[in-house]
Amino acid sequence: MWGPATVLPSRLTLSVLPGAGRFCFWRFGAAMRKDLAVPRRGLSSSCPQPLRHRELKQLSHQRYNRLYVGKSISSPKLAATVAEILQLEEKARHEVIMECSPGRGILTKALLETGASVIALESQKNFIPHLKSLDEKRNGKLKVVHCDFFKMDPSNCNTVKPPIMLSQELFPTLGIKANSWLEDTPFKIVGMFPINNEIKALWKLLHDLYTCSSIFSYGRVEVYMFISENQFEKLIAGPTKPELYHVLSVLWQLSCEMKLLLQKVPLSLFEMYTRDGLLVQKTPVKPQNQCFIQMIPRKDLFTEYLTPINYDIFFHMMKQCFGRRSALLIQHLHSLTPCDPLTIMNKAKIKASVKPSDIYPQDFKRLFKAIECSSDDDSKWLYDRVTEEVRC
Amino acid sequence: MAALRWGRGAAGLSRALRSPGRPCTTTKEGILDGLWGPRLNSSASPCEQERRKDWGHVELLEVLEARVRQLQAESVSEVTVKRVEVARVPADGGKAGGTAPPAKARVQPSGAWARKLERDRQLLQRQQALLKEEARGRSPLPAPRPKPSVKAEAKAKGRPKPEAMGKAVARSAAALEGKAKHSAGCVLPPTEPQPESQQYGWMGLEPQQGTWEHREWERLQPWETSLLPCLPPAASPPPGSGSSAQASSELRAKEKAQQNRLQTFLEGCLATGQVGLAHHMLVCYFTRPRRQRLLVPAMFNTVMRGWAQEGSYKELVSVLIMMRHLGFAPDLLSYTSILQCMGRVDQDVTTIRRCLQQMARDGLQLEQLFSEESLSPEERAALLRAVLKAKPNFRLPQPCPQVSPVELLQEVYAKDGPVSYPRLHLPLAELQALFRQQLHVELAGSMPVESVEKVSPTQEILQARKNLAALRKTWEAELHSQLRATKANLAQRSRRGTVTLYPFLCVLPEEELVQILLQVLFSLPAQGEPFVHTAHRVALQTFQRHILRQRSCRGHLQALEQRYAKYLRLLASDTQVAEPCLPRQHWEALGPPEPPPPQPWPLLELLLLGKLLLETLVQVTRLPASLASQPTAGHSVPVLFHVYTFRGVRQIGLLRPHPAFVRLVEDSKASTLTFEATDMPMLCPPLPWSSSQAGGFLLSPTKLMRSIGGSQQHQQRLESCPPAQLHGALDALTQLGNCAWRVNGRLLDLVLEVFLDKGCARLGVPPPVSEAPRPPLDQLAPDTQPHLKAQLRQEVARCLKVAREMHGLRQEALYRLSLAQHLRDRVFWLPHNMDFRGRTYPCPPHFNHLGSDLARALLEFAQGRPLGPRGLDWLKIHLVNLTGLKKREPLHARLAFADAMMDDILDSAERPMTGRKWWMEADDPWQTLACCMEVARAVQSPDPAAYVSHLPVHQDGSCNGLQHYAALGRDSVGAASVNLASSDVPQDVYSGVAAQVEVFRAQDAQKGVKVAQVLEGFIGRKVVKQTVMTVVYGVTLYGGRLQIEKRLRELPTFPQVFVWEASRYLVHLVFKSLREMFSGTRTIQHWLTQSARLISQAGSAVEWVTPLGIPIIQPYHRESKLVIRGGLQSVTWNSSVDSSQQPNTLKQKNGFPPNFIHSLDSCHMMLTALHCYRKGLTFVSVHDCFWTHACDVSIMNEVCREQFVRLHSQPILEDLAAFLERRFCREDEDGAQAQGDTGHSAKLLEMLRAVPQKGDFDLQQVKGSTYFFS
Repeated sequence: MWGPATVLPSRLTLSVLPGAGRFCFWRFGAAMRKDLAVPRRGLSSSCPQPLRHRELKQLSHQRYNRLYVGKSISSPKLAATVAEILQLEEKARHEVIMECSPGRGILTKALLETGASVIALESQKNFIPHLKSLDEKRNGKLKVVHCDFFKMDPSNCNTVKPPIMLSQELFPTLGIKANSWLEDTPFKIVGMFPINNEIKALWKLLHDLYTCSSIFSYGRVEVYMFISENQFEKLIAGPTKPELYHVLSVLWQLSCEMKLLLQKVPLSLFEMYTRDGLLVQKTPVKPQNQCFIQMIPRKDLFTEYLTPINYDIFFHMMKQCFGRRSALLIQHLHSLTPCDPLTIMNKAKIKASVKPSDIYPQDFKRLFKAIECSSDDDSKWLYDRVTEEVRC
Repeated sequence: MAALRWGRGAAGLSRALRSPGRPCTTTKEGILDGLWGPRLNSSASPCEQERRKDWGHVELLEVLEARVRQLQAESVSEVTVKRVEVARVPADGGKAGGTAPPAKARVQPSGAWARKLERDRQLLQRQQALLKEEARGRSPLPAPRPKPSVKAEAKAKGRPKPEAMGKAVARSAAALEGKAKHSAGCVLPPTEPQPESQQYGWMGLEPQQGTWEHREWERLQPWETSLLPCLPPAASPPPGSGSSAQASSELRAKEKAQQNRLQTFLEGCLATGQVGLAHHMLVCYFTRPRRQRLLVPAMFNTVMRGWAQEGSYKELVSVLIMMRHLGFAPDLLSYTSILQCMGRVDQDVTTIRRCLQQMARDGLQLEQLFSEESLSPEERAALLRAVLKAKPNFRLPQPCPQVSPVELLQEVYAKDGPVSYPRLHLPLAELQALFRQQLHVELAGSMPVESVEKVSPTQEILQARKNLAALRKTWEAELHSQLRATKANLAQRSRRGTVTLYPFLCVLPEEELVQILLQVLFSLPAQGEPFVHTAHRVALQTFQRHILRQRSCRGHLQALEQRYAKYLRLLASDTQVAEPCLPRQHWEALGPPEPPPPQPWPLLELLLLGKLLLETLVQVTRLPASLASQPTAGHSVPVLFHVYTFRGVRQIGLLRPHPAFVRLVEDSKASTLTFEATDMPMLCPPLPWSSSQAGGFLLSPTKLMRSIGGSQQHQQRLESCPPAQLHGALDALTQLGNCAWRVNGRLLDLVLEVFLDKGCARLGVPPPVSEAPRPPLDQLAPDTQPHLKAQLRQEVARCLKVAREMHGLRQEALYRLSLAQHLRDRVFWLPHNMDFRGRTYPCPPHFNHLGSDLARALLEFAQGRPLGPRGLDWLKIHLVNLTGLKKREPLHARLAFADAMMDDILDSAERPMTGRKWWMEADDPWQTLACCMEVARAVQSPDPAAYVSHLPVHQDGSCNGLQHYAALGRDSVGAASVNLASSDVPQDVYSGVAAQVEVFRAQDAQKGVKVAQVLEGFIGRKVVKQTVMTVVYGVTLYGGRLQIEKRLRELPTFPQVFVWEASRYLVHLVFKSLREMFSGTRTIQHWLTQSARLISQAGSAVEWVTPLGIPIIQPYHRESKLVIRGGLQSVTWNSSVDSSQQPNTLKQKNGFPPNFIHSLDSCHMMLTALHCYRKGLTFVSVHDCFWTHACDVSIMNEVCREQFVRLHSQPILEDLAAFLERRFCREDEDGAQAQGDTGHSAKLLEMLRAVPQKGDFDLQQVKGSTYFFS
């Protein structure tokens, strides 16, 4: 008897039992157990970022960075510019703008001055009284909610308490009505990606987008965000810049029209505050210029083949393809589908000798379609939904 | 060079060439006697290889000396030929000089191996030449210095001249002497030249040799100089060698890994009988200076042992020479091998005697040789033969029967007093027949069992079966040839001197490997299995089978059968033994202990082997395109795919079968299930546990203590403690395993009826997957909104998950029921072992008494006992206990309830499926039903007291963990609430805590705390139960809150908005109440936690010894990673049990209290078991639930209480503190620890000395407490 002394933790027993008595699924994977034991909020953690040099450096600063949870615009000039950009179209004056983490409300003020209605989602309690005071003369154009935008609609619903909220409970109270996907954009969201985990936030938004859940269940919400320059370069990278091209680039480019609105905004125009809502005097360790970008979900994102039902397979396919960049696409296909890869690639009109970083996002979509069409039953993918979703 | 030549001979090549018609006679030896050089030289010729045995006639001494001379002569002559002057060569008189090899004469026409050897040899010569040159450059001594001694030696004809040697040493190398000896591992002081030269002389290494070697070492880095000669045999880290060592620490880690691999390779060769290859590998390393550094004595010992087992004396000596050459002194193991070999070749007395003398000089005792445990009886006999020849008066040290030193066990092992150990109900002849059946099963390795899910074969099923059989046959053939090719390839690489997996592939014949691989293929779940785990499993299975093969040799089986037959006389119903004794004692008296099974292969080797095998499987198995329903895809498609799943930044590689293959297997509806022999209950009484590795199954290796993830530390602890200390655990486990079981046939019929008819979740019979919810994908309208589709996706995933869970549960039940069906009408046994805390578990995993209600109900004692006067009452009480209806009523009320319900009970027993189905409402329905039937039969029998009952009756500890805490802290309030104090009605600790929480809540509510007001009327037993139950097992505020939150969510009337706040508030109150009621408990927990934290922070894992003497160590360490790159995927093995890593402080400290309590409850169980056994009871346990026959419940209860009191009368915490202090606070003696460390130690010491105070509870009250266990 060399077997383990204890069997699985009870919560895993059922979901991962592949066959009776085969208790070995997670048996030795101490690391996996650890991985599973951490309750995960949001879906963002499923990012298979190959750790590059630059990111490694960031990781080493992570503990320090954790102090800075929020940032907001501190320069009234910048705020005015942003407000101007947001109100590009005069007809949209009646539109609702949702602002995440307004902080001291510099941008909020600017937005209100252009006449828009603003919903401020602030995660820090101590900013709220001040924000509410901004509304005094505006007769209800500003609504302030204690809510963390990037933690809205967590995947496990047991820890819902402010500032973590559910959109389906919050939005009706704010009087927002859902538009269908093909209709116009219902409202705009403006904010800044959290400085220390942009990637996490980007993944969470992606999952929401591809499933039309959370804010995107209200239609194709326009997202305006400040994002670090590096990250933005990665997002818009293509085969021409293979070293920056990665999973997020493909998924974002496919799902949204992205536009750069402001470039090289120095970080000094923002103010950081800590978890307790205290302003941070010193700039973070690695000041990076910010970009202000617009992301509008595409109407034609969903097709007959790529739907919210199977988007996770598409995500998986992308992760697989960018997992080992040196390998040819055809080799990755061997791990994705039992179908003959060459046939598939011919059908998708992709040359057999390309690497994943050599083809455009649209090609990936075509490839996905080719596999989806290859047969009727569910044996066209080697992907397993349940194994993928084993979580705490 | 002789070593090389012998090596080649050893490799078996020359032996193949040997012609039996030309024996090399002793006379020839005699003729050649005076001509050392030529004779040795000729040893390379096939003629010389012929009679290896003849070498036995040559005195060891002479061989060694000649060997040394030859070595020197060769190297020197090489030097002289090339470097100094040609004229010197003839000066050697054609003796040593003759050994200078004309390459032509050397090359043997014996294939690549020989050529390879020749190359190596030349390489060595070149290197030696180089070395000489360097030495000449540096040393003041002239290069041809060794020459005179060679001459002298040649004249001396093999007799050492101690004086001359001594002088030579003194003269030529006096300055270097000390260092040289140091480097050579010599123990003698330089002032005694005579014994020293004797020592060298015996080993064939003269002092000059020593100094020469020293120079060789000097050439190396300083740290290496100190590292290599000092390396202890056990490959423990070498003594620190300063900053240079630190600089090259990475290199050393790498080297260490290489060393380990080489050692494992050598052992693998030995296990597969390829000593020649091992020798060759050793020589390959020996001849290359860069690799030579990696050699350690253990490797030489391994190869020497191999030669000793084969009785190849000459080869053994050559290894010894190599070993000496590197300056390693032979240790106990070396001498064991030397003497063993001498015994086999019938060496003459003087040589043996000289060997023994040398051994004595090395400070080794003769008796120590025989204490080496790993020797097989046969090896021991050979060893003894040699020793007896030299010392006819020598007697084997007789092991005196040891008595357990544990105070608690004195009574168990006392010779006086009434003892009536139980016997089985079966006669000797039947038991022997059962033994043979079991042996048969284990020899087969696996066992087909007919599935209870029967299908009538239709045309499709038959077709699928036919296809599968054909495929299987193809794959078998292809795998076979592929494996053979791999093997040949690896063999070739091994011969080139690369450490490969070759010996591990050789442990099993290809057919068996193929079977293992195909079994893996057919058992892969449809969704795949992590590659790493599969690889590990395959390799482990290979290892297990390998041991099984080793053990199933004829001699071993015969010895086992004889010994077992004698052992059965103790247990059988119709035999007598002289005096009553425990099974283990009886077994030990029947013969010497068996050698432990070989150590499992290291993880690296396991993973490499598993990976290799799996890659072969993936590569070979292909499915014809016609079956894969892919006409476009050429000829065939692979069966196995390697896919990834993504989890955070981690990718996990899985092996996944082709969906078409899965479908094919499903379609074929296999009618048999295959179980490993170790997964089945035993058909005869298990072997008694006699050591930490011997016991349980007849052939399959079983460990006394299970290891988590391959940790070795527990095994090491067990092996290093005196054997008598483990007696308590060994005997308790033996006894638990000796309980005979049988299947409750009537119940099995009923369960099968439900199982085959769609199951019933309520009764714990899992329904088939066809009952699973179906995803509503069919009614999907084409224009569905995307967000609705997203919801649909979740629904699909949920359905899939449910179906998968159902499948798992169904399969588990199928395994269990099929096994039960297979074992129906048989008697079987469940061998037990324990986990690292001492808790006991049955080894067979699928069918045992530890499982669910259903599993327990299927089992009953094979041996029946009449109910006696009170048995029926106990049966009834047990019945009521199982229903869970009258938990808080006194015993007589439960009895009255049973009598009142007798109508329903009888109805349930008679018409379980058609009647009023009263039993179905019970907590444990199936056990209730079984009990109903037993009660009915007893009641309906003419004399209930004489009714023979087989049903186990349970007695449960009420919140056993808290009971132990309460007893440890002598908490009066706590003790009363967990029934340690006598009381008329059973106390319920959960209600008690709930009441206390309510008191606090009411106070807070009055103060105006809002949550407290909201919670009014919602606090009940159920809300707090789980938290209270788990608090002893270390539940934290976080976990406790989640538990309570779950309960609150279940309350329909509770306002859900407050759940979070309320649960947080409540968990604090629960902990506060527990602190109040069990004041001692919390203090003790805190004390344990803090001690563990300090110990762990000081860098050690927490260890302790239970009151029964079982050593325990917590295997929680920081994660270590083993990465193997290349191939199908990089394999990463994360392990948290690697004891070379720092301990994981969080786990060490959080784990200590619960683990400690578990070790205590296991002690209590074992004590109870041993005492029950002494009184002749049948006793089994499920941790804190004790089972026995109805008639014996009263006795068991009495014993259980007595032993609890005795256990806790020991100063448990004080002993623990004293042990921890001894173990972890030793800085006083060293005095050389770092400043910060000392402060840490002081803190720990202070903590350990502050043992928590005890309360005033009188422990003796337990004896009178009815509901302590009930």
